Amino acid sequence: MQEIFWNSIAEYNAATWYWQIAITAVAAALALVLWFRPSKRAKIAAKVFMVLLSVWTAFVYYLGFCSARDYSSALAIFWCLVAASWVYDLATDFSSFRKSGKYGILGLCMLVLPLFFPVVSIARGLEFPQIATPVLPSAVALYMLGMLMTFNSKINFFAFILILHWAVIAVSKVEIFDIPEDLLLAAACVPAAVIFLTRALKSAGQDTKPKIFRS
Amino acid sequence: MQETKKTQQHISEIADFIARYLSYMLGAGVHTSRVVRNSKRLGTALGVDVSIHTSQKTATLSVSSADTPVHDTRVIDIPPFPISFEWNADLSALSWAALDDNLSLEAVRGKFEELVSKPKMNPFFVLLMASLANASFCRLFGGDIWAMLVTFTATMIGFFTRQHLMRRKVNHYIVFIVSAFVASLCASSALSLGIETAEIALATSVLFLVPGVPLINGIIDITDGHIQIGISRIVNAFMLIISMAIGMSITLILVKDSLL
Repeated sequence: MQEIFWNSIAEYNAATWYWQIAITAVAAALALVLWFRPSKRAKIAAKVFMVLLSVWTAFVYYLGFCSARDYSSALAIFWCLVAASWVYDLATDFSSFRKSGKYGILGLCMLVLPLFFPVVSIARGLEFPQIATPVLPSAVALYMLGMLMTFNSKINFFAFILILHWAVIAVSKVEIFDIPEDLLLAAACVPAAVIFLTRALKSAGQDTKPKIFRS
Repeated sequence: MQETKKTQQHISEIADFIARYLSYMLGAGVHTSRVVRNSKRLGTALGVDVSIHTSQKTATLSVSSADTPVHDTRVIDIPPFPISFEWNADLSALSWAALDDNLSLEAVRGKFEELVSKPKMNPFFVLLMASLANASFCRLFGGDIWAMLVTFTATMIGFFTRQHLMRRKVNHYIVFIVSAFVASLCASSALSLGIETAEIALATSVLFLVPGVPLINGIIDITDGHIQIGISRIVNAFMLIISMAIGMSITLILVKDSLL
């Protein structure tokens, strides 16, 4: 099972490395544009990119290269759900993708973390193409988490809990498939969960105050 | 003539209040015989006789004065409030307080407003607690730590979907189908990990949707003789269970046919 897992990653990397470089470059460019020159177009572009990234993970990675694994279709459908959450966000213009003045540095650190996936793989003696890259599902989830954390004025909470679910899957993969790189996502999810869940708890609590007591 | 007019107005005010009281109780998921008993007790405290007929969506209330031939009737819609055990307990206690302390209509009405305007439970807190409850069910059914974690987050996603769709006033059968599908789909990701108890995670991820209160109320209503509303409640609960099964079946068809 572990061998099938790493072989599928190797096949994926060998066949799509140039695409992965392009995707990483676009991801970095979008984050920089949103940080330095935020605009409505940049915000829409970022959301469209999130949709495409999720669709890529579902169709190219899981259905294209991981078909030898058991239940890869379940994970492909899960990533379609992540894509749907961004499409819904795009349609309703929900998340603002604006900086709030808080946690920006923490968000930037999370945005950089996907680049450490191949570094960790090489550090533990793996060789290309059998290494973790920034365009594997956990690294993609980490990039999305970084975007949510950096531009956290108003976030897509549905996408966040889907990423949280993926972090749980990632932690179990560390033990089952021997991929410690996924711990980066799990580690990043801890502060994100504390921040976003506490904020959600507080903001949801405001609605519970009865109207007659509101000033 | 003047006296009859005054009595008529007083009976009308009592009828309005008891109609509101019983609609809140029925809407909050209290079983029928308790609602009828409490409303009649409130009527006794305020010096009137109360007769009630209930159905799934409406209730008919007739209030008559014990001393004069004056009476008043109301047909009311039952509002779809979330299930509230707090309202159940508080409003029942109010009917006893009205009787024991001989409270006036104004005093009872004031206390009622105070009770129903109390802060409702934080929906996000409910989301976390429901997720924890489902993870605990997973453990009770033999799930390991990974299955429990997957159940926790899958329930969170399903429950959040349910809350969001209900806020948007989507038909509740559709809400159940979509929520069951989303929760079970997320839980099905445990199958890819090859853990032994993945199927337990899949099965327990939708337990938050089981309509326990309508099922119990339906049985209590039937045994108490309120057969019409009892059957309505049970049919409604079964419809919700069927919706839940449809949502889960979609996941199983997509992911694991052999479990169907």
